[in-house]
Amino acid sequence: MKITRRDLLLAGAAISASSVVCGPSALAAGPELKLGVVGVLSGPAAQWGLALKGAAEFAAAEANRDGLVKIDGAPCQVSVVAIDSKYTAEGAAAAANTLAGQGVKFIIGPIGSPELTGLKPIAKRNSMLVMGNGYAKDALGPQWPLVFHVGPGPSGWADPIIKIAKQKFGIKSVVLVAPNDQGGTDIASVDADAYKKNGIAATEEYYQRGTTNFAPIVTRIMNAKPEAVDLASSPPGDAGIMVKQLRQAGFEGPIGRLGGPGYGEISRVAGGDPVLKDFYWYEPVLVDEKVQLIADEYKKLFGTERPENNLFFQWVSGTRMVLKAIAKAGTITDTEKVAQALRALPVDDPNVGSGHWIGKEFFGINHELSFPFGVGLVTDGKLQPIVPVEAATGK
Amino acid sequence: MEGIVATGLIGISLGAQYALLALGFTLIFGILGVVNFAHGGFYVLGGYLAYSAVTYLGLPYALAVIAAALGTTALGYLFERFVLDHVIDDHLATLMLTLGLYLMMSSGLLVIFGPQSPAFSFPLTGVLRGHGFYVPIENLVVLAVCLVGILSIYALIYYTDFGRALRALADDRSVATAQGLRPKLLFPTAFALATGLAGLTGALVTPILSLAPHVGDPVLATSFLIVILGGLGSIGGATVAAFLVGMVEAFSAVYLGGSKGALALFVLVLIMLVVRPSGLFGHRVRGA
Amino acid sequence: MASIDLGAARSGSIAETASVVIIAAAFIPWISQNPAVYSLANQILIGVTAALSVYIMLRMNLMTFAVPTFMAIGGYTAAILGLRHGVTDVLLLGIASFVVPALFALPLGALVLRLTGVYFVLVTFVLTEITQLVLFEMPGWTGGANGLVGMPAVTFFGIELGDNRAVLLVTTGLALAGALITAAVTRRLRQHFAAIEENELLAQSLGLVVWHHKAFGFAIAGGVSGLAGFALVNMLLTAHPTSFSPLSSVNYIAYTIIGGKSTMLGPLVGGALLIWAGEIFALRGEFSQLLFGFLIVVVVLAAREGIVGTVSRFLLFLSSRVLRRSTINPGSGALGAPAATESQP
Repeated sequence: MKITRRDLLLAGAAISASSVVCGPSALAAGPELKLGVVGVLSGPAAQWGLALKGAAEFAAAEANRDGLVKIDGAPCQVSVVAIDSKYTAEGAAAAANTLAGQGVKFIIGPIGSPELTGLKPIAKRNSMLVMGNGYAKDALGPQWPLVFHVGPGPSGWADPIIKIAKQKFGIKSVVLVAPNDQGGTDIASVDADAYKKNGIAATEEYYQRGTTNFAPIVTRIMNAKPEAVDLASSPPGDAGIMVKQLRQAGFEGPIGRLGGPGYGEISRVAGGDPVLKDFYWYEPVLVDEKVQLIADEYKKLFGTERPENNLFFQWVSGTRMVLKAIAKAGTITDTEKVAQALRALPVDDPNVGSGHWIGKEFFGINHELSFPFGVGLVTDGKLQPIVPVEAATGK
Repeated sequence: MEGIVATGLIGISLGAQYALLALGFTLIFGILGVVNFAHGGFYVLGGYLAYSAVTYLGLPYALAVIAAALGTTALGYLFERFVLDHVIDDHLATLMLTLGLYLMMSSGLLVIFGPQSPAFSFPLTGVLRGHGFYVPIENLVVLAVCLVGILSIYALIYYTDFGRALRALADDRSVATAQGLRPKLLFPTAFALATGLAGLTGALVTPILSLAPHVGDPVLATSFLIVILGGLGSIGGATVAAFLVGMVEAFSAVYLGGSKGALALFVLVLIMLVVRPSGLFGHRVRGA
Repeated sequence: MASIDLGAARSGSIAETASVVIIAAAFIPWISQNPAVYSLANQILIGVTAALSVYIMLRMNLMTFAVPTFMAIGGYTAAILGLRHGVTDVLLLGIASFVVPALFALPLGALVLRLTGVYFVLVTFVLTEITQLVLFEMPGWTGGANGLVGMPAVTFFGIELGDNRAVLLVTTGLALAGALITAAVTRRLRQHFAAIEENELLAQSLGLVVWHHKAFGFAIAGGVSGLAGFALVNMLLTAHPTSFSPLSSVNYIAYTIIGGKSTMLGPLVGGALLIWAGEIFALRGEFSQLLFGFLIVVVVLAAREGIVGTVSRFLLFLSSRVLRRSTINPGSGALGAPAATESQP
């Protein structure tokens, strides 16, 4: 519960901080660059949006302090306008319209697939550049030349994680479980293909979102007698119950979750690491000392702790890339030119490391930022240090 | 064959939980004529009360469950007595009030406790294993409490003066009132009894599954399904329908898959609406 | 539910005319070219249209949660016609998005409306859950979890309506159609509806085939929801299951109840105020639910007629003080049955 209160305080602090940023900018003579943030800032998923918002504000403050964005030689004041998308397509579409109304040309976010689906047409209509997230299979594509991914989807990272899990646990068959909506199917099916490519037999199992007791699903999984179970993008609360009920049903094999972070909550709900026993998951950012510097810097700039969610770092590196591209293109209005510059930029971040642009094979367009990431592991009921993995290549 | 036994056991444990929830829901409707949209809210509240009692007051779990049941009973009593009672004869108004209460409860819990599930586990772990089936001990405890709860409700309604008074009020309020029964006292008590049941169920079940502010939504939907099947206001109908729904959910999820299983339930309800619109035991439906 | 009838027929038609005029006013290109203003106007008009179908059902003393279901049917109908069959004419799409949900509603209404009001509430609630499941389980038709994306822009006699302004025009047209239909139906059937609302048994014994009228009203309400669904899909250029979530039905109910359920102005005022407040004060997500819940309780307990009813009663009170009129005509509340009649057979 403390998390939320702190988040609320943090949100308040961030709002006042951003108004401080905006205040003088209105007076300054130089050009002003407004970054729009579209993310879920309320409700159960608020911490994801707060991480995104904090990251954009951090990158903006950093750029202002160091004069990183110069247009025609004059330093450009960067400010952030954040709007709640409520985690729905309408919310994101309305947010994009509001931002267009304020003349915003660059959007950082949104986070989820439904939001991205709702936002893209509006952004296209107003020729806005989007640096977003969302693991849907149609998230990117040649028909969306201004839409970028802040980090790869499962098509990028599933393969390297599976290789590690295979080597560690020697699995030959897996059942993937996920909710039956876009947030579930678009990830589990991609994960399943990645398992199959690694010679692991994979079947998919979908449950109705809102299910509270997973005992029947667990029985169904047990009947398939898999060596491993992958919870894909099941929400952490659901994943926790499934882990617990799988273990009660006598399942001894490793359990994965190739869908996103959430280890902490899963472990809490399941009843601790001994229940997890053998567990592996995708950790988008490996927080080493170098990455930790961002958090220290954030504290210096804003006087508060960084937003708790680790995706904060991913959004920082994504926003930095956008700002770099704007500076390189030398325009804060021509988003096509900025997109061109962005595509040509080497994927490199002073803290997070270097990587590549990927996505050509899967989406038909090389618009995914791929940075080094991590694989989380629990073995024999003990939490292991996160395994660093090179930036995903290939797809 | 073994699979059928194992699945049946799951169906029974699901059914027992559903029965405890649906009984409260159907009691409130049968006696007060109120559709309680806040029923799922009291379930979640029970969970959080028990969690808070364990975590912040350091109470043993068993006491925390009792505290949660008492807390939700008290809140239910106060809500009926001071809010709902003013408009008790207007079914749209009571529906809106309970809906409003539910919105406030679930968002209030979200504001206070945050969206993530806290660490809240059942104190007894361990699993009984037999030939081809297994039963977690925690489920057995819940099953026992559910059965005791269901039997107590039956005893209360059918074998006590209090129950007779409630049934009289449900049958014909004006006659019952004319004979000296006092709805001003009996209604809040009946409402409190039902919300207390929901709170008790929440305190028992959320540590086994998970505790989060939104886990009351499916509870409400399931309660609706059960009373539609069983017949609104019918105690026997709710009990039978709860186990039926538990069984259908278990077997369809195991043999058809999760998503199809949910669809199977809805199809069952639709068939019931066509064949026997007033539900299994719905001989007499209030003309609300 | 005994509504306090301040000469229902008269004040009703004033409110209906006012609502239609207000919605029609959205056709005028007001001051702004601002997409944010367009977006807000779009959202309000869509919300109001959806709330109107709640209003229609409340005429018959029935609470419906099924608005998202019929919005989904209307929206997906338009999306499928546009995407798979190349239909872009806004009139054709509008008619389809009204008729198809109404046709769905008819058999369903015939099935459910023979039962009492409470069953109806429960069944409509369950229906919204079924809707989501059906959308997911029929990917061939609905695009499954990904929804349908990339419809062509709608046209009006060959003119493409694709930019922000044109989208608002379409939404306004649909909202206006919804309002006109609502006004026509509630006016036409006012006597019948009032009789049902006042005392269903009596109405029945006087020879009114009650469920006939109810099923008709349900079909119309479904059609109006369908128009809102089409407007939403047209605004988003996407038909996506999350747009029709079960919980969104609570919002439409809140707009109607908080605005005032006794005249057509209620859903309009309630929807406009609550959606606008949501945008301005950033009362979003869960906090708006908290506010909605609180307002619903306050309205039901303290201001039974909602914002519109309370304000108009206050105005009436003022004018009666001024004019020293003897008494206010209690109007058609002559059946005079107190609320208690409904909850006891």
